[in-house]
This record gives sequence, structure tokens and C-alpha cells, in this order.
Amino acid sequence: MNCEDARSQLLQYQQGRLELDAADALRAHLAACATCGHEDAAERMVTELLEHRLPQHPASLALKRRLAAGWPASVPQRVPWWRQWARPLVPALAVATVLLVALPVVYYQRTTVRDTNGTSRMVGEAINDYLRVLSSQHPVEIQSGGIHQVKPWFEGRLDFAPVVSFAGDQDFPLEGGAVGYFLDRKAAVFVYRRRLHVISLFVFRADGLPWPTQGLTPLGRVRAYTEVARGINTILWRDGDLGYALVSDVDSSELHALASKLAGNT
Amino acid sequence: MAWRSEGLDAGAALGREALAYADALHNLAHYLTGNAADAEDLVQETYARALKAASQFTPGTNLKAWLFRILRNTFISLYRRRRNDPTVGGLDTVMPAIAAPTDEAWLRGDLELDRLRKIVGEEIERALMALSEEARTVILLDLEGLTEIEVAEVVGCAVGTVKSRLSRARTVLRQQLRDYA
Repeated sequence: MNCEDARSQLLQYQQGRLELDAADALRAHLAACATCGHEDAAERMVTELLEHRLPQHPASLALKRRLAAGWPASVPQRVPWWRQWARPLVPALAVATVLLVALPVVYYQRTTVRDTNGTSRMVGEAINDYLRVLSSQHPVEIQSGGIHQVKPWFEGRLDFAPVVSFAGDQDFPLEGGAVGYFLDRKAAVFVYRRRLHVISLFVFRADGLPWPTQGLTPLGRVRAYTEVARGINTILWRDGDLGYALVSDVDSSELHALASKLAGNT
Repeated sequence: MAWRSEGLDAGAALGREALAYADALHNLAHYLTGNAADAEDLVQETYARALKAASQFTPGTNLKAWLFRILRNTFISLYRRRRNDPTVGGLDTVMPAIAAPTDEAWLRGDLELDRLRKIVGEEIERALMALSEEARTVILLDLEGLTEIEVAEVVGCAVGTVKSRLSRARTVLRQQLRDYA
């Protein structure tokens, strides 16, 4: 090792950063070379001066407080690309999830409410028409001499042909018929009896009406909706282009018995 | 690599660790700017920039060296350009003669060691401030315990350059001290 090599390694040697072999070689050189030995001593002295005598200028407490106050509890962090996308997507996905869950519920509720409102409207109309029949001085305009006498009577009075095949029997005799209104349209009114009870059957065009879609039960080859309101039973069903509303204050099972006969024969 | 920590917020943890280096950063800032007011501003700006760049810090690396690099870059961008500092020439172009005959004579008599022992703090500070900014920087960073690799990252040069710059800087410093002695 020459002097130039030795001096180039002095600082590393003094800081203990030389490899063991290189440190041994330099140590041997310093022991043999007075000039490099002095250089070593002078460098150590400079280091000591810098470490122990050079004035230090630490940060003031005020500065440290300002620095601490300026560093928030949370700082932006480097995140993977998918997290960068995920950050805005999460709320969007959350909204989408809520919509996916909520929309069917809202739709169901809205349709149910609409369904319920429409059905109630139909039931209410059926009951009111039934009550009008009851309160009428002449509930039937054509006295029944049989179904084949009543049905032809409607010709020219309605814009449709009511399909009713049940001509009445001992349990439910057909009393007669009349022309009435069901909501916004004309209706054929068939009046049956069950003992002293009046049973009204309204037959009308089924199109454009809020027919119930839920709570339907089988009735012959169709499905019917049953509701009790104001103590009066109402059974609604549609068959083809025609709608039927059977209304009475008779027992529900008896009204269903008649409904089965009507629906089975219509 | 994502920078995260378990439980404790990583940003807050980094902030606390960074604040532990405030004294060392302010000391370097003082020797770079030459006055307390500019030093405080430089340190504050350094922390502000560190906060903005916190996500770029790689855990496991030397935070102190990272902060020193920000401080030095901030100094260059904010202070050095507006100052007409005659000492900013760089050691690579201003190289004192090493082991000149007069120096050899000075050294051989061990007079240097005797005089160095009498140097006071104010004199060594004045000698240090007489060096170029680059010379001061490498000497102070070396004093802070940074490795040559870390110093190279701070000042933005090759490791071998750091080694030669440090050697030259100390040689110039010794010449300055000799003048005071």
C-alpha cells in the first residue's frame, strides 16, 4: 500500500468502514509511515473538532411545535393502482348495491301499493254498485225467466256480450238482470239470490282496469281475488276480455260456491 | 410498494419520526443558509415538502437521509439561486493542492496538531462557512453518520464522487484552520 492509497482510505478506516484485510494493511502502513501517521492523527483531530467544538444549531422549541402542528395525524399514502380506482369505486359500488337492493323493494312496494290501490278501487266500486242494487226500487230491469231470456235482453244495451252460462239453481236462483256501471264502463248486472240475500254479478269489459295480481286463488279455470270490506264479500276475476265482480253479504264460502259455478261455466 | 403500518396511522408515525430529526436538519440548514431565520424557513419548507411526498417514502430506508435530500433540494431551489454566493463553485473545480511542499513542512513538524488543539468553536465554524456549500454539505452529512451511499443520494452524485469530495473538503477545511491557528 502506498501513501496515496492509505490517505484515500483514512476516513473509512477511522469510521470503521474498511474491510478487515484493508484495515489491517492500512494499519500496518500507518505504523511504518510517519507522514501518513501524522495525517491520520490530523484527520482524527479535525473529526474531533467537528464533533465536539463545531457549534450546533438545533431547531428551536417554537419551530418544533410548528413542525409538529403542521404534520397532520394522517397523510396521503401511496396505494396500489387498484386501490386508487377502488377509492372512488367503493362509494359508487355501495350506491349501486343499495340501488340493486332498494329498487326491487321500492318497485315491489310501489307496484304493491298501486296494486292495492287499484284493487281497493275495484272492490269499492263493486260494493257500491252492489249497495245501489240493494237500495234500488227495481234492482232488476228484466225479470228472469231463465238465463236464455236474460242474456238476449242485454243486446243493444251493452257494447259487449256478457258471458254467463250459469242459469241459476235452487241454491242460487237467478232473479234477473239490469244494466249498470262499473267504474267508467257499462256493466251487465245479474242478480242471484241465496235465501234472502241478494248476490250481484257484474260483468264488464276487463281492459284497462287495475286488476289485482297478488293474493289470487284458483277459481275453476281462472284465478280470483277475494276481499271482505264493510261486511260485504267481493270476488273479482277476469276471463278473457271480460271481468267479473261477484258481490254479496252472504257467507264467504257460499259466495265462493256460486263463484265456482259461474267461473266454471263462463 | 405500498406504505402502510399496522394499527398506528403510518403518516402520523412518519411525522413523529421525522420530527426527531428536526435538530439535525436545522443544523444543516443553518450552515447552508448562514442565518437562523432562513434556516427555520428552510426546515419548515422541508417538512412541508416531506409531508406532500410522504407517500413516496419507502419504509425501511433511511428517513434521515430522505429528509436531508429534501432539505438540500429545497435549499437549491429556494435559496441558492437567489444568492450570489461566491463559495458555490463546487469542489470538483476548486481543488486545493494536496500535500504541497509547504503543507508537508507544516505537517512534518506536528505543529498542525498542536494548533488544531487550540481551535475554538467559533473558528471552526468560520472555517466551515468559508467552504463551498457542497463542501459544507458533505462534511456535515458525514458528521451526521450518513454512509457514502446515503450522502450520494442526498447530494445527487456518484458514491465515488462523494468520497473524493469529502476528502477534498476536509483538506480545505484543514487549510482554513491552519490560517486561524
